[in-house]
Amino acid sequence: MRTLTRAALVMLAATSLIAADKPVATLQLPCESQYQDLSPTGNQLAVHCKGGGLRLLEVPSGTEQRAFPPEQHASSTVYSHDGNWMAFGFDDGSVEVIPTRGNGASKRWKPSSRRIDALNFFPDSKSIVVGPVDSPAQVWTIADAPTLRATLPFTFGGMTDSAVSPDGKIMVLAGDDTVLRWYDTSTWKPINDNRDFLLETFAVSFTPDGKQVLAGGADSRISVLDAATAKIVRQTPPEPGAYIVGLEVLSDLPRVATLYFDDAGEKSPHGLLWDLADSKSAPMGNGQVPTCGNQVGNKLWVCHTEGQKIIITAYD
Amino acid sequence: MNLSRRELLERCAAFGALTLVTQLPLSALAAEWDDAEKKRQPTPFCELGPFYKREAPNTSTLRKPGDSGMPLTVSGVIYDTRGEIVPHAKLEIWQTDNDGHYDIEGYRYRALLNPGAKGSYSIDSVMPGHYPTRVCQHVHYLVTAPGHKPLITQLYFATDPVFDGDPDKNYKRDPLISSRELVRPVVIKGDPKQIIATVNFDLVMETL
Repeated sequence: MRTLTRAALVMLAATSLIAADKPVATLQLPCESQYQDLSPTGNQLAVHCKGGGLRLLEVPSGTEQRAFPPEQHASSTVYSHDGNWMAFGFDDGSVEVIPTRGNGASKRWKPSSRRIDALNFFPDSKSIVVGPVDSPAQVWTIADAPTLRATLPFTFGGMTDSAVSPDGKIMVLAGDDTVLRWYDTSTWKPINDNRDFLLETFAVSFTPDGKQVLAGGADSRISVLDAATAKIVRQTPPEPGAYIVGLEVLSDLPRVATLYFDDAGEKSPHGLLWDLADSKSAPMGNGQVPTCGNQVGNKLWVCHTEGQKIIITAYD
Repeated sequence: MNLSRRELLERCAAFGALTLVTQLPLSALAAEWDDAEKKRQPTPFCELGPFYKREAPNTSTLRKPGDSGMPLTVSGVIYDTRGEIVPHAKLEIWQTDNDGHYDIEGYRYRALLNPGAKGSYSIDSVMPGHYPTRVCQHVHYLVTAPGHKPLITQLYFATDPVFDGDPDKNYKRDPLISSRELVRPVVIKGDPKQIIATVNFDLVMETL
């Protein structure tokens, strides 16, 4: 679920707001796939195969760079902010970090015996937050050999998402126990929390200025929290029958792209573009089913599939 | 004749049915034997899932008059791995309704139970429906108790059509079912006009 979110959001916003340019790449799909991850540098596409397995394709050539077989199922994937690294979490509790270009060494280790459900790079790409299912979150530095820096427990359950402030000094962890916890990343001591949520938060994000934290989850609202006090300062109205699985603060804040799943599990995901200034929303997407997307340079790259092909289009 | 473990061991030793090659007295052996038989394996973990909701109502009656679905009673006792009852545990249970829908806005089919000193619990509910993105019918459990690790698990039903009547062979059709032990037999009780499915689901917690 979480692997869909961020990329899909960016792409949903793009398709509704910006005029399309010509396709930048058309690749042959190596397998049936409902969603992919596009690297922030635009040079790699991770294709999640239906039924398991993952294929890494070079963009725009389509050359397969690596394949993970179905039995080595990647339960979570994330690119680093600079696009130079990609991390995979596996069902057996392993994590692998690979360079997306060049001949750098990949690193693989096993932080847990449980499936890795959530991963997040720090802004400097030198550390990563690992969330094994229903287990404490772990922070690892990966500049050299992976080294465990902190183990961050929950009352019960595990991590649903995490966000690191733009200056890297604060990390917010969202947990299955419905609590949002603030940590000082220099000491890994808890410095604040918010226990107002009755339901789980599935997506947290700092605003670009680091002054606010946005949270969305099963209550289907975007909650805006003061990053300094962890207090909720405002909330959008709920979206009945849905829950938030991803939110992306657009560069022209206060607009926030939000991705919802149907809580009955029957309808397709949908996106709303919220203006937090007036708590109004507009639907995103133009009817085409987007399957991945990311900001590449100053453009938004968006994918959709047509038959056995995946088409990546750049938007100004 | 109902002999204690110690009396039984003494009698067996006297008649040559038991050979002791240990310095332990029979009383200690009997106590060890009893403890060994009481020991229980921890209930297998099964993940929390995305629809947990805090502050569920303190009730054992989840089914309201007129609710659709097969009436269901689930009961059990909360033990530790030594086989002792865990007193004063807190048990949170949530499930879908008969149509496979979780109540996100309210608290239908959600309950908080306090089993007390006896460690036993029972709920009246309905057989949960199939949530569209999950394979099997299930009931979520979160059990907490002082001095014990939180237990997160799910209960499944041997009568689930997904198993085609053979849960031993087919329980892995739901990739989230971590152990066959979580698939429990269902006993149908009551008269033809008021049947009810009953399931026993004891829970075993690990100490911290």
